[in-house]
Amino acid sequence: MREVFRLPDVGEGIAEAEIVEYLVNVGDIVKADQNVVRVETDKAVVELPSPFSGVVVEIPHKPGDTVRVGDPLLVVETEAAVRPAVPRREERARPPEEEKARPLPALKPLKPEEKPPETPPAAAAERVLATPHTRRLARELGIDIATVTGSGRGGRVTDEDVREAAVRKAPPPPRAPTAAAVVPPATAGFDFEKYGPTKRVLLKGVRKRTAEVMARAWSTIPHVTHFDEADVTELLQVVERERGLAEERKVKLTVLSFLIKAAAEALRRFPQFNASLDETTGELVYKEYFNVGFATDTEAGLMVPVIRDVDKKSILQIAGELQDLSRRARDRSIELDEMRGGTFTISNVGALGGRWATPIIVHPEVAILCSLRARKQPVVRNDEIVIRTIMPLAVSFDHRVLDGADAARFMSYIVALLEDPMRMLVEVA
Amino acid sequence: MSEMISVLKLDGTVDEEKIKAIPEDLIHKMYRLMVFTRQWNAKALSLQRQGRMGTLASVRGQEASNIGMGLALEPTDWFCPSFRETGAQIARGTSPKDLYLYFAGDSRGLRPPEGSRDLPICITVGSHLAHAAGIAWGAKIRGEKIAVLSSSGDGSTSQGDFHESLNFAGVFKLPVVFAIQNNHWAISVPFEKQTATKTISEKACAYGFDGVRVDGNDVFAVYLTIKDRLNIARSEFKPALVELVTYRMDDHTTADDASRYRTEEMLAPWREKDPIDRLRKYLTAKFGWDEKKETAFLEEISAEVEQTVRDFEAEPHPKPTDIFEHLYHDMPWHLKEQREEVARHQGEAAR
Repeated sequence: MREVFRLPDVGEGIAEAEIVEYLVNVGDIVKADQNVVRVETDKAVVELPSPFSGVVVEIPHKPGDTVRVGDPLLVVETEAAVRPAVPRREERARPPEEEKARPLPALKPLKPEEKPPETPPAAAAERVLATPHTRRLARELGIDIATVTGSGRGGRVTDEDVREAAVRKAPPPPRAPTAAAVVPPATAGFDFEKYGPTKRVLLKGVRKRTAEVMARAWSTIPHVTHFDEADVTELLQVVERERGLAEERKVKLTVLSFLIKAAAEALRRFPQFNASLDETTGELVYKEYFNVGFATDTEAGLMVPVIRDVDKKSILQIAGELQDLSRRARDRSIELDEMRGGTFTISNVGALGGRWATPIIVHPEVAILCSLRARKQPVVRNDEIVIRTIMPLAVSFDHRVLDGADAARFMSYIVALLEDPMRMLVEVA
Repeated sequence: MSEMISVLKLDGTVDEEKIKAIPEDLIHKMYRLMVFTRQWNAKALSLQRQGRMGTLASVRGQEASNIGMGLALEPTDWFCPSFRETGAQIARGTSPKDLYLYFAGDSRGLRPPEGSRDLPICITVGSHLAHAAGIAWGAKIRGEKIAVLSSSGDGSTSQGDFHESLNFAGVFKLPVVFAIQNNHWAISVPFEKQTATKTISEKACAYGFDGVRVDGNDVFAVYLTIKDRLNIARSEFKPALVELVTYRMDDHTTADDASRYRTEEMLAPWREKDPIDRLRKYLTAKFGWDEKKETAFLEEISAEVEQTVRDFEAEPHPKPTDIFEHLYHDMPWHLKEQREEVARHQGEAAR
């Protein structure tokens, strides 16, 4: 007979897990208690053993899939001889026949003057399943939770269900800053199938989060992007010269570490770039710490690890942390805390090519710097055309609190530092 | 700082003088209980990962401390365990099936067997040390010739309850022994960050009684020391603090991932000190224990554990309405209403 191994709650209150890898293939013989799949929850990567002995006949997921608690993980064809003698606990949990036949407990008798309830007792018992949090959300959004169809386990109404119901119910609302969570679907009514077949992939995890954060930043911050370029010929020579020293300390020295240091010094000189707008009080909040995030392209999507107190660290230290944080962002061992608390962000798309880009600010920061691939090109120096290595730069700023002139000064200072590494030595704290 | 009491060495040799106090059949019983505890524990972890068991604190690596303590108590003594004493509880006579039931979320598993003098498992860290002192005080007032043993982890020594209980026991000269299984970790807090003292046993001097330090992976040393200290407590009303130096080989619980804060290098030296391997070496040298006997023995224990699982899973589930029982003698109206609502909902679900 076919037995289905479903994802259990392997932590304390885990709702879902991601498949890391299956340790068996379809057709394999498994024994009870043999590890069959590795999953990653919010808390840990764990190996799950099969409750059954038999032959694996179906593996309904692949690595990377998100599986909810209660969803099938594995289907095993058990042989009669190796079947567990005892039925599963869930099966036994159902009351025996006589209990099923038992009439419902009588309700309290109504006083004569009381109106009989509008809904019969049976309907009362069909009270929808939802957590108190979801019920409150429904009340706040003005949704009668009894009218919402639950998509959760056992018909449970989830927060998502309530939000969707709210979106369906609401007339296209005026755009308010707080509406970010309940954006009306602008694509409602589109028939994507009209001109050909399509495939649907749910946005989730980092991708979903990126979508939310970017939509919010783009819709609340009036962006302006200022472009410039830096002659990094000498800087590259410095990087080349000191590479060996860094390698001795197991650190890879990169232009990005110099760029971060230069940005830190610029932030110190132009503190309005190291600030946030407190939208509730209308105050500009100047931060007296300098934590620079750097955008990292990972398999899971875009992550922004943060290097703390860059103003107090040497370029070599910054390079070391860059290396460590980006490695851990890629293998996903990075802690959430290490991606928080940034005051400014640098996006380096250098290696991937391109000449111009207009980066989106990481809300609630007020500016972001983007560096692109440096390349050799002819430039004019002392009225002569010479070959130099030029790196394009772009800074996007929040025009509510900064102006074009500020950006020009900020950027020129960074360019000056990058073009003259000795100046960094002399001037930078 | 007191030195570490040891009887059974890493290579399986023993202190020939001290071992005389332990009869051969007891040695076999110790081995059996330790191996049973390890298999019971491994099965419970596997069941948890299959969704058939709730959160569980693995006792792997601490079998010698557990079994040594459990067997050292007299049936008339009281035992106050926390949650990593499952082996000691089994040695004391708690049914392994009941322990499975409890960790699967069925509180009926906590009911002590008839005539038992074990408190239920205490999850709250260190609070049961006060219970132990209180029971000992009561026994002293009544003139009972008994002793009380509490067991908790190194983390519990940082709790206020630890100080209160030991101070009280010292002042009132109570027949109580506080065993601390120093497994070096309080969830993710390492022992070095738990206390500024080098050992736990030395804390006893602040309370005016003896503190001793025992190799907690040496079942003979644990058994003999605890037994000795319980005897002194019983006859002379002298409390004691016994530090059992051991190591937690698994995660804190099934909801933890120790690889985030503990490296393989930290674990390696403790694999060498495994309490069961060590005892097996002794059995091999002394009683001609061999591969063949071991294989048959392991199969026997494994069958016993599987049978325990079948028995536990054959127990009918508690009813959801049971959650309303046992708290009030006379159930208040609002709980009655809630119970009716749950019963109604259950009736609906059953149809």
